[in-house]
Amino acid sequence: MNQATKASARDAGPASSYVDTENGLVDRTIFSDEAIYHRELERIFARAWNFMCHESQVKEAGDFFLTRIGEDQVIVTRDKKGAVNVLLNSCRHRGNTLCRAEQGKARSFMCPYHGWNYGLDGKLVGVPGYEEFYRGGLDRDEWGLGHAAQVDSYKGFIFATMDPDAPGLLEYLGETGRVGLDIAAKDENIEVLPGIQKNRIGCNWKLAVDNLFDWYHPTISHASSDRSDFFPLQDTLYQMNQMVMLGDYGHAIAGPFVKPEGEDAASDVENTYGTQPIMPHPNIFPNLWIALNGTQLSLRLPRGPFETEIWWFTLVQKDLPAEERRKTQLFATHFFGPGGLLEQDDGENWAHSTRATKGIANRRYPLHYAMGKGKDKVVDSPLGHKRVETVVNEHGQLWTYKAWAEWMDADSWDELKQNHTPAPTGRI
Amino acid sequence: MRAAIGKEVTNTLRDMELEARMRMQYEVEQFLYNEAALLDDRKFQDWIDLLTDDIHYWMPIRRTMNANQLNEEFTKPGDMAYFDDDKEVLKYRIARLDTGYAWAEQPPSRTRHLITNVRITNFEEKEIDVESNFHLYRSRLDTEEDSWFGKRCDRLRRVGSDLKIARRHIYLDQTVLLSTNLSSLF
Repeated sequence: MNQATKASARDAGPASSYVDTENGLVDRTIFSDEAIYHRELERIFARAWNFMCHESQVKEAGDFFLTRIGEDQVIVTRDKKGAVNVLLNSCRHRGNTLCRAEQGKARSFMCPYHGWNYGLDGKLVGVPGYEEFYRGGLDRDEWGLGHAAQVDSYKGFIFATMDPDAPGLLEYLGETGRVGLDIAAKDENIEVLPGIQKNRIGCNWKLAVDNLFDWYHPTISHASSDRSDFFPLQDTLYQMNQMVMLGDYGHAIAGPFVKPEGEDAASDVENTYGTQPIMPHPNIFPNLWIALNGTQLSLRLPRGPFETEIWWFTLVQKDLPAEERRKTQLFATHFFGPGGLLEQDDGENWAHSTRATKGIANRRYPLHYAMGKGKDKVVDSPLGHKRVETVVNEHGQLWTYKAWAEWMDADSWDELKQNHTPAPTGRI
Repeated sequence: MRAAIGKEVTNTLRDMELEARMRMQYEVEQFLYNEAALLDDRKFQDWIDLLTDDIHYWMPIRRTMNANQLNEEFTKPGDMAYFDDDKEVLKYRIARLDTGYAWAEQPPSRTRHLITNVRITNFEEKEIDVESNFHLYRSRLDTEEDSWFGKRCDRLRRVGSDLKIARRHIYLDQTVLLSTNLSSLF
C-alpha cells in the first residue's frame, strides 16, 4: 500500500460523504481506494442478488457454468433433481479450485489436490481414506461446499445472493428491475447463443456501469462509427427524447424513449442497421446491463479497484428463423464486445477515468454527475410506471451512486431495507 | 521401408514437386510477410485490397474446457465470435480509423505482427490453405501493452498473378482476453 491509499483508508468516513447528492458530485476516491473496494465486496457483492447465467446455459443435469460473486468464483450447476445450485468453487479441505473449465458437463467435482469429491448439489460424497485415515473423525455432511444463501430465477435469468437476509428476488428487483429484465425475457422463449465474450479493462467497475445510462457520450465516444457511416448516430440516439426509471436498491433504466408494449406501438424506434429497436438501458444493481432491447446482457465483474472483466451474453428467441438469428448474432458481434465497432472506444475512456482517480491532486476535484439535476419530475406512465420524460440527463448515474452509498453504509440487509431511499416522486 | 525411403530420395518427380512446393512456400511466406508489413505500417487501404470480395474474417471465442470436451473449445460458425466480418464490415473498421475519432486508436497504437510456422496444408488449382502462427504485439500510449498469440488458418486465392486472402480464421490462445479492446487487425 502506498501512502495515499493508507491515508485514505484511515480517513475513510461513511460512503455517503463521497457522494454529494445535493450537488451531483462524486468523490474520485471511490474508484481507486483499496479499503472502499473491499467494503464493496462485502457490502454490495456478497449482499446483492448477482446475475449468474441464463437457464438455457444449464439446461440438463450435470451442466455447469463458472462465474463470480465479487471475487468469489462460483459454479452454477444443474443437479440430478433438476435444481440449480450456486457453489463456491473451492474445496473445503485446502481451498483448492475444484472446477477449472469455464463451462461443461460433469457428474461431480473432484478436487485435483487430494480427491475430495462433491456432488452437483455441493454435498461431499467422496473422501479418499475416509475410513482408514480419518477413522470416523470427519462428518461428510458438515463439509459440503459453501454455497449461495438463496438462488432463484426470474423469467429464466438465474440470480444468487450470499446473504440469507436478502429479500426475495422479486422484491429485490422491484418494478424497475422487473421491467428491465422483461425487455430481455421477451416471451421467455429465449436462449443464450454459444460463446460468452470476455475481456479485461483496466477500469473501476462502477465507471463501466455508469456508462450504460449515458446517452450523452455516443456522439463523441462513437463519432468514428457515425463519420465512417457504419452507424449514423444522429438518427438513433433521440437525445431530446429520453426516459428514466429509478427503482429501489439502485436499479435504474435510462435511454431513448420507447413506450412499453400496450401503449402507442407506433412510437417504436428502429435503427437503420437492421430491425433492432433501440430501447432504454436498464441496470440491475449492481452490475448487470441489459443492452439494446434486451438482445445482450453485459456483466461487469470487479477484479480489484483497477480491473473489470466484461462478459457479454447474447440472447436469441429459440424459434427465430436461421436468417434472423444470424442477423442478431452479427449485430452483437459488430457493435459490442471488445471487437465491436462501437464498444472498442469505450473501455479506454473508463480506464483513463480510473487512472486519474489515483492522483492526490485529482482527488480534490469531484466528478460531475449533475446534468439535469433539479430540472425534471417523476410522472406516471399510462401503464402506471413512475418515470421521468426528459432530454439527455445523468439521473440514472447519480441514482446509482446514491444507492451505492446507502448499500455501503448499511450494516445489514435490515438496515438497508429501512434506510434506503425509495424510488423518487416529484421533482428530481 | 528402407527401399521406399531410398526411392523417395531418388525420385525426380518428388524433387520437382519439392521444388515447386518450395517456390509456393516462398511465395506464400513473402505474401504473408508483406501483408503483415502493410498492417504494421498502417497502410490499411492497401491491406483491404489484398482481400477477395467474399472474404470471411472470423475469430471465434475460445473457452477453457476439460479434455473430454475439447471439441467445444471454439465457438462454431454462427455462434458468437470476436470477429465475424465480411469485406464491407472490414472496410468500416478501416474507415473508422481514418475519421480521427476512433479513440481506441487515437493516437494510433504501434503494432508488430510476427508470422511464423507457415505451413501449406492444402492446395488446389486456384486456392492454397495456409496455417501460420502469429504474435501480434501492441504498444499503446505510454505504457500499455497487448500480446496476442494464436494461429491463423487462411485460404489464399490466385487472382491473375496475385494472391488474395479469401478466408482468415483466427484462433487466439487466450480465453479471457487480457485487452481493453480488439482494435487491431490480425
